[in-house]
Amino acid sequence: MSAKILVCDDEQEILDITQMILEDAGFEVTAVIDSLKVEKLIEEQKPDILLIDLWMPGMSGDQVIKSLRLNIKINHTPIVVISASRDGKEIALAAGADDFLEKPYDIDILIDTVKKNLSKPLSA
Amino acid sequence: MRDSQDQLPNPSHSESRLFEAALDASSNGVVITDNLLPDQPIIYCNRAFEQLTGYDRDEIIGHNCRFLQSGDRDQDARSEIREAIENGKNCQVEIRNYKKNGEMIWNELMISPVTNNEGQITHFIGIQNDVSRRKAAETELAKEKEYLEERVVERTRDLELSEAYQASIIETIRESLVVLDKEMKVLSVNEHFCKFFKLKSKEIIGQVLFSIGDNGQWDIPELKDLLLKILPHNNPFEGFELENEFPRIGRKLLVLNARQVMLKGKYQERILLAIEDITERREIEQRKEDFISIASHEMKTPLTSIKGNIQLLERKAQRNNDSEYMVGFTKAAKSIERLERLIDDLLDVSKIQSGKIEFHFTDFQFDDLVTEAVSGVQAATQTHKLNITGSSNTEIAGDYGRLEQVLINLLNNAVKYSPSADEVKIHISRVSDYVKVAITDSGVGIHQRDHKRIFERFYRAEQITEKFPGVGIGLYVSSQIIKEHKGTLWVESEEGKGSVFNFTIPIKKK
Repeated sequence: MSAKILVCDDEQEILDITQMILEDAGFEVTAVIDSLKVEKLIEEQKPDILLIDLWMPGMSGDQVIKSLRLNIKINHTPIVVISASRDGKEIALAAGADDFLEKPYDIDILIDTVKKNLSKPLSA
Repeated sequence: MRDSQDQLPNPSHSESRLFEAALDASSNGVVITDNLLPDQPIIYCNRAFEQLTGYDRDEIIGHNCRFLQSGDRDQDARSEIREAIENGKNCQVEIRNYKKNGEMIWNELMISPVTNNEGQITHFIGIQNDVSRRKAAETELAKEKEYLEERVVERTRDLELSEAYQASIIETIRESLVVLDKEMKVLSVNEHFCKFFKLKSKEIIGQVLFSIGDNGQWDIPELKDLLLKILPHNNPFEGFELENEFPRIGRKLLVLNARQVMLKGKYQERILLAIEDITERREIEQRKEDFISIASHEMKTPLTSIKGNIQLLERKAQRNNDSEYMVGFTKAAKSIERLERLIDDLLDVSKIQSGKIEFHFTDFQFDDLVTEAVSGVQAATQTHKLNITGSSNTEIAGDYGRLEQVLINLLNNAVKYSPSADEVKIHISRVSDYVKVAITDSGVGIHQRDHKRIFERFYRAEQITEKFPGVGIGLYVSSQIIKEHKGTLWVESEEGKGSVFNFTIPIKKK
């Protein structure tokens, strides 16, 4: 069974291309534009990994991550932040993300990063 | 002669000869006129008178004295003489006389009447003295004096004008100016100073600078440092930045230039302080940096989509072995990469400007860094062979990614600006406490006048702007990165003969 990925970004075109690339690589992808819905979707769909942007209206990526990390039911989900801000790496890792990928990303690196974080031993 | 002598008062014959000899020995001209004869003719003149006038006695005796004035009759002295003669008085005048050859002489003339026993004036004796040289000197002196007086008036006016002119310049300048004595007491300020700081000049003049205004607003440690510690050793001092909260005008960012007058004299040791307010300029700069930062970030979103789509299509074309599309995708990928670099450079510039660029230092082998950067650029370059020589075998502490960025920038430049060459040489060495890289191309080269300027932001050398695209930030960013590593980046180049870009980084101290 292929791994399930949840992608959250406030830009539709980013969501579209990320979904296409990952589906082409054989993953099952759910895309969400509203960061406020991320936590509920994870609870419902139990994706194997979350890819999330940082700067978003409503709830910023790091706020979402902090909240998820406090949610015992789902706090083991690997999280990769994908942001156009180079300084975002520190913010992402400090909030509890497992990895960081800078936009514009290279598709091979995107796929490798997803695979690498899927195979990581689950964080407690 | 005999005739005239006969008319003189009656001395004995031998006495008369003695008198005549004495008179001829005199250097003053002497004439005697007969007052009883019509038109008072000259009846005697001595030798000096002949010499003085240039006339022979034959031409003199029997004439009235007026012939000596020639045509120059309108002299005040003449009426004085006339009056003296009419009243039988002595007189002394200076009168213009004319020699036989027409030359004018100033004659200092003394006239004395001779009276007989009946009280009748029988003769006048005139003593003449040529004072032309003295008169000339006097005239010259008077002229000189007049000239000097004129000059003094002129110079005074010039000085007043120049003072007023300079004062008006100082008052017009939109920068605050303060003059202090060596005890830091305010001697004067310009209008802009008062306006800007909302102070009245009477509140300031005579006060020690650090004590002016209310609540010690000028008691600023940095300002004291500048004037009391820095200036004595660095005179003049320019570009001293100072941020302070001023009660009447709020927080201001100021740039100060200070200069202590070294001229000997009245103004010695006075301190001139020019204060420029750059608060607003800094804010505008900040807004510009913010704009670049946000704009670059925004550009990355569509770029991510383009890059992803192109790479996805490339991948699919590869699967289908569709070589026709592959060429296009490769080209597009290159352009995307260039655009990405441009955006990154823009962001870097904005971060460097605002001092927000972050460096992450780690230890690594310098040669590995160079080798990796070179092979990265080589992989994307078909036209040139990049050849590395030398080695440093040295570990340094630096930001690997940033230094790699510098190397990639320099290597790409070397390739870009040597379109007709096929090689770029890279030489690594260790020099004293530094590692050094020299990147040599045989391209278009850089004119001497641009060797420093090419490292400025947005500067592009004149001769390349038309032939090569670019925005002029790569070298600026590179030099800033090298500076952050306490190294130097410089170029040696001659137009038409290629360039050598060098940089050094200090070796990590064990």
